[in-house]
Amino acid sequence: MKTSILALLLAGTALSTACSDIGRSRALDNPQVSATTLAQQVCSNCHGPGGNAVSPNFPNLAGQMETYVAAQLNGFKGHGRHDPAGFEYMWGLSRSLSDAQIKGLAAYYAAQAPERQPLEGRPERLAAGKAIFEAGVAAQAVPACVNCHGKQGEGLAAFPRLAGQHADYVVKQLQVFQRTDDRPEGSIMKTVAHALTAQDIEDVAGYVQTLPQP
Amino acid sequence: MDKLTIHHRGVVALALVLPLLMAVVPGDARAIPAFNRQTGQNCVACHAGGQFPELTPYGRLFKLTGYTIGQRALPISAMAVVSRSSVANTSKSDDPGADFAKNNKVIFATASLLMGGKVTDNIGGFAQVTYDPYAVQAADGSYHGHSNADNIDLRWADRFIGPQSDLIVGVSVNNNPSVSDPWNTAAAWMQYVPVPSPGSSRFIDGSSPYPGFGAGGNLGGVSAYAFWNRSFYAELGGYRTARGLFSVMSAGLADADITRLRGINPYWRLAYSREWGAHNLMVGTSGMVARVYDDPLDTSDPATTHRYTDLAVDAQYQYLLDPHAVTAQLVYTSNRHRYPTAGASQPAPGDNLSDTSHLLRAKLGYSYQARYGGSLSWFSLTGSANPANVTFDPNPETPVTSAGQVDGNRTGSPATRGITLEAFWMPIQYLRVGAQYTAYSRFNGSADNYDGFGRNARDNNSLFVYTWVAY
Repeated sequence: MKTSILALLLAGTALSTACSDIGRSRALDNPQVSATTLAQQVCSNCHGPGGNAVSPNFPNLAGQMETYVAAQLNGFKGHGRHDPAGFEYMWGLSRSLSDAQIKGLAAYYAAQAPERQPLEGRPERLAAGKAIFEAGVAAQAVPACVNCHGKQGEGLAAFPRLAGQHADYVVKQLQVFQRTDDRPEGSIMKTVAHALTAQDIEDVAGYVQTLPQP
Repeated sequence: MDKLTIHHRGVVALALVLPLLMAVVPGDARAIPAFNRQTGQNCVACHAGGQFPELTPYGRLFKLTGYTIGQRALPISAMAVVSRSSVANTSKSDDPGADFAKNNKVIFATASLLMGGKVTDNIGGFAQVTYDPYAVQAADGSYHGHSNADNIDLRWADRFIGPQSDLIVGVSVNNNPSVSDPWNTAAAWMQYVPVPSPGSSRFIDGSSPYPGFGAGGNLGGVSAYAFWNRSFYAELGGYRTARGLFSVMSAGLADADITRLRGINPYWRLAYSREWGAHNLMVGTSGMVARVYDDPLDTSDPATTHRYTDLAVDAQYQYLLDPHAVTAQLVYTSNRHRYPTAGASQPAPGDNLSDTSHLLRAKLGYSYQARYGGSLSWFSLTGSANPANVTFDPNPETPVTSAGQVDGNRTGSPATRGITLEAFWMPIQYLRVGAQYTAYSRFNGSADNYDGFGRNARDNNSLFVYTWVAY
């Protein structure tokens, strides 16, 4: 039995050494692996090869602000960002990334082309979402989203792109901002989102998913 | 009756103390078994609703890319089960003490040691050694435990991925046909976890009909697979006796318990998968043809082989959007078993030369917040009646024998049908407490008096409650 285990191990190691290519590595603790390789071999599993995630459980990253992606990865790595989805999925994956890899991943996603999302939702709900997005809710002192995130939700530096983001993801993150302190780097959003009702959150999230408007 | 050996006590104590230990050990206590330590992720990343062994799309890719995502970590995990089974009726038995020795008793049911993880950038795997405390029952009724190699899957994989195309290729060295499969409708993976020893809980869901390949497990196999654009999956493998280079695949099994296959036996798998939004769907087919020697200790005559032809069609649907996880599974298998034409078990004149059976199993499961959940399963096995399987002798001339009471068969038909309901709670991700109820409407061919001694299918209805810990 021992001989057979040894033989299997030897055969395996020989095969692996012969075929191993750092350009196709899935190692998360090797600073030699390029950000593009990591994005394609690992991150693509949930976020899609070009940063367009099929499942709304995971945010679209295509076209996302470089500064923002780098800040999030650093937040996961340093455990500053500790919302459940963040620590369940991202703490471990980011724990050994080098600064260069984080920078590279941020640049990779910023350079990807975002896909347009299918138009979903009733027109009156989208209109309500548009109103909040563009003008805020004056009575509740909720500022307009466009002020920081851009007219079409395209984002600006540390303010993330919202255009085409999965509505479900936006809803959950607004809830995180509103109800918790799990994302301290985005604490400004706590003030912004504090007065939004559940319906407001759903409307504005549904609207940003449809952006950019043609 | 049974003697709780020191070994047993040790494992029971470990099973009870481990969760406490884990709760006080500082650090990343969320990352429990070996794979979690390797990726640093929570169970829910790879397991749908955090429920082992059901895989998410990401979990499937983690497996198909050879368990190589992440960084090398301590590759050892363990799991243990403490359970209690209660069967509806223990009176219709000539020896309830033997037939239902562990009924209504809290037992240490099973434990596994798992070694898993990344070896190199292209190689990874897992190997499971399972301890069954009720593996062997001695003449005095006492049980003896036994450990042996359970599922083993070592693989090499590579992935060629770009903006437009994605091809994963790999080779798996494994010991159980379909253990290499990433979907949970595969025979090796369609299961409720935990499954205790059949010796301790004979009528619970784990002992009811499940899809399977006639050749069974603990074989030596190699399969090659490809997964293209996360859509088309194909796998082709060959299995032989687990000897020589493959002897690790059957480690711990006595010679007489090792399945002896004639030559190399083919296994194949095709599947189509599609993901959209929070949904994913797979439809597939698999099969195996195997020739198994009747006597594992005598492989001299090729005419003494059983030939199993197994075909399966399966489908799985998942809806995964935190905090919800819905899984629907459906499997239909058709199995043909042709008996040897020569040797000790040559069929008597008039007996079947071959038997066929068909199994349909469906399961619908839901979990909320990876914490609470439940499921409903339905199973129906039908098949040819074989006089050789009849244990009851209706002839009033011959003396009545109680052999075959409880597990006997009056008609020779394997037909068994029923449902299983389960509810569970996972207060922490390495501890699951659950209750399962299995109800039979038909057992061994009949609804009523299936053993010829008046035992009805519903008399076997069983409640199974368990605590499962993994670390």
